[in-house]
Amino acid sequence: MLLSVRDMHVSYGSIKAVHGVSFDVDEGEIVTLIGANGAGKSTTLNTIAGLLSPDSGEIIYQGENIAGMSAHSIVKRGMALVPEGRRIFGNLTVYENLRLAGFQLDSATLNKRIKRVFEIFPRLEERRDQLGDTLSGGEQQMLAVGRALVTGGKLMLLDEPSMGLAPILVQQIFEILREINAQGTTILLVEQNARMALQLAARGYVLETGNIVLAGPSQELAQNPEVQKAYLGG
Amino acid sequence: MDLNFLVQQFLNALQLGSLYALIALGYTMVYGVLLLINFAHGDIFMVGAFLGVFGSMVLNLPFVPTLLLSMVLTAILGVVIERVAYKPLRHASRLSAVITALGVGLLLENGMLALTGADPRNYPENFIVTETYDVAGFSISNVKILIIVLSILLFLGLYAIVQRTKWGMAMRAISYDKFAVPLMGVSQDQIISLTFILGTGLAAAAGILWGVAFPVLNPYMGLRVGWKAFIAAVVGGIGDIRGAFLGGLLLGFVEIFVVALGQPFGISSTWRDPIAFALLLIILVVRPTGLFGVARRQKV
Repeated sequence: MLLSVRDMHVSYGSIKAVHGVSFDVDEGEIVTLIGANGAGKSTTLNTIAGLLSPDSGEIIYQGENIAGMSAHSIVKRGMALVPEGRRIFGNLTVYENLRLAGFQLDSATLNKRIKRVFEIFPRLEERRDQLGDTLSGGEQQMLAVGRALVTGGKLMLLDEPSMGLAPILVQQIFEILREINAQGTTILLVEQNARMALQLAARGYVLETGNIVLAGPSQELAQNPEVQKAYLGG
Repeated sequence: MDLNFLVQQFLNALQLGSLYALIALGYTMVYGVLLLINFAHGDIFMVGAFLGVFGSMVLNLPFVPTLLLSMVLTAILGVVIERVAYKPLRHASRLSAVITALGVGLLLENGMLALTGADPRNYPENFIVTETYDVAGFSISNVKILIIVLSILLFLGLYAIVQRTKWGMAMRAISYDKFAVPLMGVSQDQIISLTFILGTGLAAAAGILWGVAFPVLNPYMGLRVGWKAFIAAVVGGIGDIRGAFLGGLLLGFVEIFVVALGQPFGISSTWRDPIAFALLLIILVVRPTGLFGVARRQKV
């Protein structure tokens, strides 16, 4: 198992956001966590990535419990998070955003990875010296995924990559995620857009108010009447 | 008013302005990274100047080693202050942090007073031997040229670090959005320490050069100079290092030329600060974000 979350509890001060969540991601998989706004999806991802500390529980990544480690040392262990809202550095150029994402890399590896990002997203190469603030939403999402590719590692966590994008762009991004996965990166995807997420992922978990209420292969989840009613618009 | 007088005043303005500029850089960098106005920064400048006294009078070191020693020791002090006094307050309200900074400043002033006494200090005679050259009929002092050139070189070095290196990129990234920086594999603590190293190191250099130009050092010297450099940073657009440098130079020019041009009209030199600050206030009324500042996006 590449990632194994065991009975993880997370809170913001006195407000509990995640109540004992457990799930697994195997090497090479695409797994999705779906759920409504406020279900605890982002909290779960941010805790795995080390931006938040869990109150209790274990996060086993490649055999090591990384719960409570700092985000930058988790990056070193080979995990990258594409955060909600993309979080591009608007005062840095496209190239500088990618350069910074390779902070821990030697220059040969860095250049190789940036080259690969430019191959996957030729648009970013065209915009190489433009400031992040001047990019469109779709380009920013490409850059956010591109940064995670530079940071590298076995596992990519994505928090709502479809947010605020036109359907055609969402299709494109999801196509690229499928490719990235085919080239060997495991993906854990958090989405409100359950339809798209269940099409891409092989398995999924449904999160409701901080608890996992359903789990199974995507096809099964997509046909589940409750999932259809709550997340797929009937 | 002859031309030589104007050239002298121009050099004086550049000299004073570049010293303000070096100090203003530290205010603006710390603000950019932590959103903290480090009110102890003027006193750190004072410590840098006094470490120069230690290096030159106690250890009998010449100018360059004294300068380097003071920059290194002051940078260490800056990092220690951040770790001990500011880091525990990183998630507290900004008011608490600012009050802590004022407290650190008082500690440095009174600590230095207790250590060295109230007598003003200066550097030894042979620290920098003042020479005056005759260039095309203008008399030019080596001290002024040294201060101006060294300040500009230090600024260019800093600018290269901020613009060209990955550490500089990380500093700029933190000032835009702290949240995502650790996801790039960057330790925020390391970048904050680096910011303090650079800012306090430059303040120490300014302290030594100030002591060379105006050889009356006392533990309270950082108060007035610090306030002025802070205002220079705000006028330049706090958070932007080009702005801080230009703001410092601008303040130097305004101060020197208010006196130089006011004299023939019977304006006494005591009007220097009121007029200088009134002019700076006008700049802020016209451009509230300063010369280089951009309004910060409010994130919800």
